[in-house]
Amino acid sequence: MRTAVISLVTLLSLLLGPDTAGGQTVVVGSKHFNEGYILAEISAQLLEDRGFRVERKFGLGGTLVCFEALKNGEIDLYPEYSGTLEQAILKLPHRVSHRELREILRRRFDLDLLESFGFSNTYAIAVSRGLARERGLKTISDLAKLPNLRVGFSHEFLNRQDGWPGLARTYGLPARPVGIEHGLAYHAIREKRLDVTDVYSTDGDIKKFDLVLLEDDRRYFPEYLAALLVRSGLDEQIKRILGELAGTITAAEMQGLNGQVLLERKSFAEVAQQFLREEGLLRSQGTALLGSRWGTLLFRAATHIELTLIALVAGMAVAIPGGIMIYRLRAISKPVVYLAGLLQTIPSIALLAFMIPFFGIGATPAIVALFLYALLPILRNTAAALFSIDPVLKRVSVGMGLTAWQRLRYVELPLAAPTILAGIKTAAVINIGTATLAAFIGAGGLGEPIVTGLALNDTALILEGAVPAALLAVVTEWGFEGLEKLLIPKHLLQKPAE
Amino acid sequence: MTQIALEKVSRVYGDEKALQDIDLTFTDDVTTAVVGPSGSGKSTLLQVINGLVRPSHGTVFVFGEPIDYARLPELRLRIGYAVQGTGLFPHLTVEENITLLARLVKWDAEQVKARTEELMRLVNLPLSFARRYPHELSGGQQQRVGLCRAMVLNPRIFLLDEPFGALDPITRNEIQREFLHLQQMEARTIVLVTHDLREALKLAQRLVVLDRGSLVQHGTRKEILEDPANGFVRSFFQSQLEQ
Repeated sequence: MRTAVISLVTLLSLLLGPDTAGGQTVVVGSKHFNEGYILAEISAQLLEDRGFRVERKFGLGGTLVCFEALKNGEIDLYPEYSGTLEQAILKLPHRVSHRELREILRRRFDLDLLESFGFSNTYAIAVSRGLARERGLKTISDLAKLPNLRVGFSHEFLNRQDGWPGLARTYGLPARPVGIEHGLAYHAIREKRLDVTDVYSTDGDIKKFDLVLLEDDRRYFPEYLAALLVRSGLDEQIKRILGELAGTITAAEMQGLNGQVLLERKSFAEVAQQFLREEGLLRSQGTALLGSRWGTLLFRAATHIELTLIALVAGMAVAIPGGIMIYRLRAISKPVVYLAGLLQTIPSIALLAFMIPFFGIGATPAIVALFLYALLPILRNTAAALFSIDPVLKRVSVGMGLTAWQRLRYVELPLAAPTILAGIKTAAVINIGTATLAAFIGAGGLGEPIVTGLALNDTALILEGAVPAALLAVVTEWGFEGLEKLLIPKHLLQKPAE
Repeated sequence: MTQIALEKVSRVYGDEKALQDIDLTFTDDVTTAVVGPSGSGKSTLLQVINGLVRPSHGTVFVFGEPIDYARLPELRLRIGYAVQGTGLFPHLTVEENITLLARLVKWDAEQVKARTEELMRLVNLPLSFARRYPHELSGGQQQRVGLCRAMVLNPRIFLLDEPFGALDPITRNEIQREFLHLQQMEARTIVLVTHDLREALKLAQRLVVLDRGSLVQHGTRKEILEDPANGFVRSFFQSQLEQ
């Protein structure tokens, strides 16, 4: 009960906007992989220790999402890698020094790249230890001799200039790789469904899944120095504090930190706090670690419901009148339904990404995307239900002397109600499912543990989001069935086949 | 006052002429049956009277004035309308079906209740049916509800489109008797479309015979039976009444 109240209060404060009275709020972002979370959490706790309020927007989906969010001022900082900036963002034709890179970022984007944490996390190519021994694989060049290996790369690696295209050219590799979610690739290798994948050289998973890194014998991969990328406008004091983190982590230490999360199942908060304490960077006793498990769950569920509900209500407000308009103006019905159908075919994650330039990250773009998904089922059902009303009833209602508005209100909408309600139910269930992806753009909700779980290969964590989301969908179904019973005379509901 | 009159009314659908040049004045306060083979334009004729069909040419007078097509709902509230298969609203109870119009024109609750009971008694419907839904009633009972609904605002004109068509013979007989009783108690101008000539002769004092959209004959029962206008009317009556 107490946790419910607490989460309600937190939710309320979220709705009322951040409280800025107690000092400056810094928004810290991270990409959705293990190391990103850890470095971001270390930065966040350091700032909290020095009296700043921190808002965490962790687990954002990919480099471009983070970079755009930073450029738009949606977040103040996030951990990034020099190689990624050179290749994926700036698309530079040649290597530059750290100093030159900082110069370019400041000039072109008004962003500051702070001094590196002290390690480079470069791409590496990994195979299972068994396979390496069996086929005598030691270097990436060795791969060229084995054309039949099954190769799967993360989508980002597959498409980056400094990823697979260049690697294949440099080494003359014949493989035809498939795209696979990074977290799933490890499982695929363990299950012997995949032979080769890309990893980061500081991955804790390398140890966990007993993989071997192939030597980059032609020095193809550039350096990926980890550093915080911040808005130039950020308070100088904050930049100075974050500067204390420069040179504090070696590659081996980073593998250790990653491993603590992956292998020892410690939370990011715990690992970050322990690290800061050991480095002697904490002034206070350290903040209390996150609230109770149930409190977190309830808070996520509340956020999830909030996202879904706002989008659904907005969807109804547009799609029901839209359906009525289609019914009245037959000529526009085809184009409108096609347009709504087109929206439905855009993959959710792509639609979420499209929203970022317009709405930034967080709840707003997620709600807009969910709203767009809610439109089609409601629109189509509303129009179809109105079109299919018995023509005799339509003629009688006109002949009796009802005005157009009265017909809609007293005859057509009540008769269409069961089908419209079914459309709303479909939209609600679709939205609950799709809202789990909203965590990729920092909207929170039940997708948060799923996204983190994917990044960590942590099935338990994935379930922590997936199970409540599934339950929520079931409860929603029940809720709508109850609503049907309440609102609609029994004989008008579709009866199950007898 | 002449309540319904048609002046040179035609209705054309593409090449097809559903009504051709019809001049017709309905006699007030009696029942006129519109008969003719199927496709002769009976329903169309009925529907030009309440504006569901707008004539391509000619003028329709109702309550002594040409129909104002911009203000149809107001006119229709003064015209009762009932159709085959009743057209009752399945989502409304018997009571709600009957009283819908009365509530929309803002009668007070007492008045609505009194009128409902009066009407249900008039057509021999048990008051306990008020809360039932149409699908819980027999065909004959539904038809009675349909009549009550058409009568609720006590209209002076009644348009009935094959209202008893879907009933079994016994029920139909019963309702036809009640219909005559209603008309005796309070005479209205009624236009009844029916494909059943026996029904027409039983319920109506006057007949209108249509053939392929044209008016062939209009007169009392006696006039038409004794002096058919042409061979078509004679053979139509013979073939219908011999069955």
